[in-house]
Amino acid sequence: MCAAALFAIMALTFFDVIGRKAVSQSIPGSLELTELLMVMVIFGALPLVSERGEHVVFDSLDSFFPGWFSKLQKAFIHMVCGAAMLALAYLMWRTAKQFAQNGDVTAQLHIAKAPFIYGMSIFCAFTGVLHLGLIVKPNAALAEGEGAAL
Amino acid sequence: MIESLLGFAVIFLLALMRLPLAFAMGAVGIAGIAFTRGWQPALASAAQVVYETGFAYTLSVIPLFILMGNFVARAGLAHELFAAAYAFIGHKRGGLAHATVAACAGFGAICGSSIATAATMSKVAYPSMKKLGYSDSLATGVMAAGGTLGIMIPPSTIMVIYGIITETNIGQLFAAGVIPGLLTAGLMMCGIVWMTSRDPSHAPAGEKTSWPNRWKALRGIWGVALLVIVVLGGIYGGFFTATEGAGFGAAGAFLFALARGRLTFKSTYEVLVESARTTAMLFTLLIAATIFANFVNFTTMPGDLKEWITHLGLSPVMIIVAMMLIYIVLGTVMEELTMVLLTIPLFFPIVQSLGFDPVWFGVLIVMIVQIGLISPPVGMNLFVINSLLPNVGLGNIFKGCWPFVAIMIGVLGLLIAFPQISLWLPSLMK
Repeated sequence: MCAAALFAIMALTFFDVIGRKAVSQSIPGSLELTELLMVMVIFGALPLVSERGEHVVFDSLDSFFPGWFSKLQKAFIHMVCGAAMLALAYLMWRTAKQFAQNGDVTAQLHIAKAPFIYGMSIFCAFTGVLHLGLIVKPNAALAEGEGAAL
Repeated sequence: MIESLLGFAVIFLLALMRLPLAFAMGAVGIAGIAFTRGWQPALASAAQVVYETGFAYTLSVIPLFILMGNFVARAGLAHELFAAAYAFIGHKRGGLAHATVAACAGFGAICGSSIATAATMSKVAYPSMKKLGYSDSLATGVMAAGGTLGIMIPPSTIMVIYGIITETNIGQLFAAGVIPGLLTAGLMMCGIVWMTSRDPSHAPAGEKTSWPNRWKALRGIWGVALLVIVVLGGIYGGFFTATEGAGFGAAGAFLFALARGRLTFKSTYEVLVESARTTAMLFTLLIAATIFANFVNFTTMPGDLKEWITHLGLSPVMIIVAMMLIYIVLGTVMEELTMVLLTIPLFFPIVQSLGFDPVWFGVLIVMIVQIGLISPPVGMNLFVINSLLPNVGLGNIFKGCWPFVAIMIGVLGLLIAFPQISLWLPSLMK
């Protein structure tokens, strides 16, 4: 899903720019659509990042710790991350409720914003549960983190 | 003051415990605001930051530039770049090393990532260098150092991140990176000349390419050239915003890779998911850094720090030099993104109050990241090359990168001494 959303952003921006510069006709509401799609890209990919352990961590000390400590450490970390994501999920759920009550919509296309914020919340909750699940899962050989960030 | 120092201390502690930085910063930020202002404002402001960062049109520049770089890497353009550079300078002593630096600079102009540039080049350039009998340490040193050009020569992910956190114009940052990037590449080449003249057995010369073949090789890179000219030229010329340029570039890179038959449905999907993952990872960091910065700004710390520094009676340039020294030391042991995100809320207000140009400081930060990426023991570029070329050994890679670390520290000195190197091009944009 995040792949489709990202591709959509790319295509949308591309045609929007071409339209605006070539025939001075932009795609109506392209800005808002990009914003909504961004939410899908970011939060949709969040569980994948957590699952693969790609968050930026300070791991230079790893080789100094004994094995039992690393195990304990891992459990502790996933517990904290899981709790944090669940808390964030609750927080965003609450925010979404407010948006739903106020009936907030985007400026041009009048798309309701609340469902997207509910979506954020659900993905955060899913990521949280995933972290909690990783507590018990044995240490897989994790991919080199960071991707192409730097 | 005390509360924010405590905050920094807790983050460091949690980070040392291997807690992902984003979680450490976010949690400390929320807790900090809660203790100084109460829980309701803390939670409300956190929700606000998450919501606003999620729904931000201008931030779509991040995934789009990442996507562009990934498509370009997939399109196999690096081969053509290397071939073209080799055709012109490969017959000189150390020619392959020079060609690698040149190809890295070219690749850096379409890819905003140092690690991706180094990884791509190690697949393209290493086999040729090995075949000619280059020493492993020189070959890997060149690739690691050349790779860092990817973040100085625009587009650049770290510049975008810096621009967002400090609210500095990204287009101007991009313009500011061009000359320092080319200068670094030039000085690296001078370094290679010096190294290979001391010990020519390191780097034998390649075969000379005839002029017709050179033109042919040059034709292979028209796609890269076109993409660079349209995207960066468009942003500098004010034709595009950075976001529009990124979207255009990503779509262009996609069409290009498609036209060359390098994309299947599956590989397109992989590139998209990979880019989305990197995006999500960066956004969790951005959100957390913003929450933490909000907390720090609530406290008296920025003001206290400014006061303390003015009391020190150092000249402003000395303060910058001191900061850079701290960064160089931190960069050897810390992961660079962590370092930048943690220190910017601390250093940036000082830099601003001293009256320095944020664009100039941004270039310094990128240079610092470049140095950190290749300075042992912890340097991501070294690790990436090590994992891609397991036969070389980390020891050899470490040995090869030192001369380049020295060269880049030299460039950093030049950038501090002559701010015009960075600021001349952006000044033309206004």
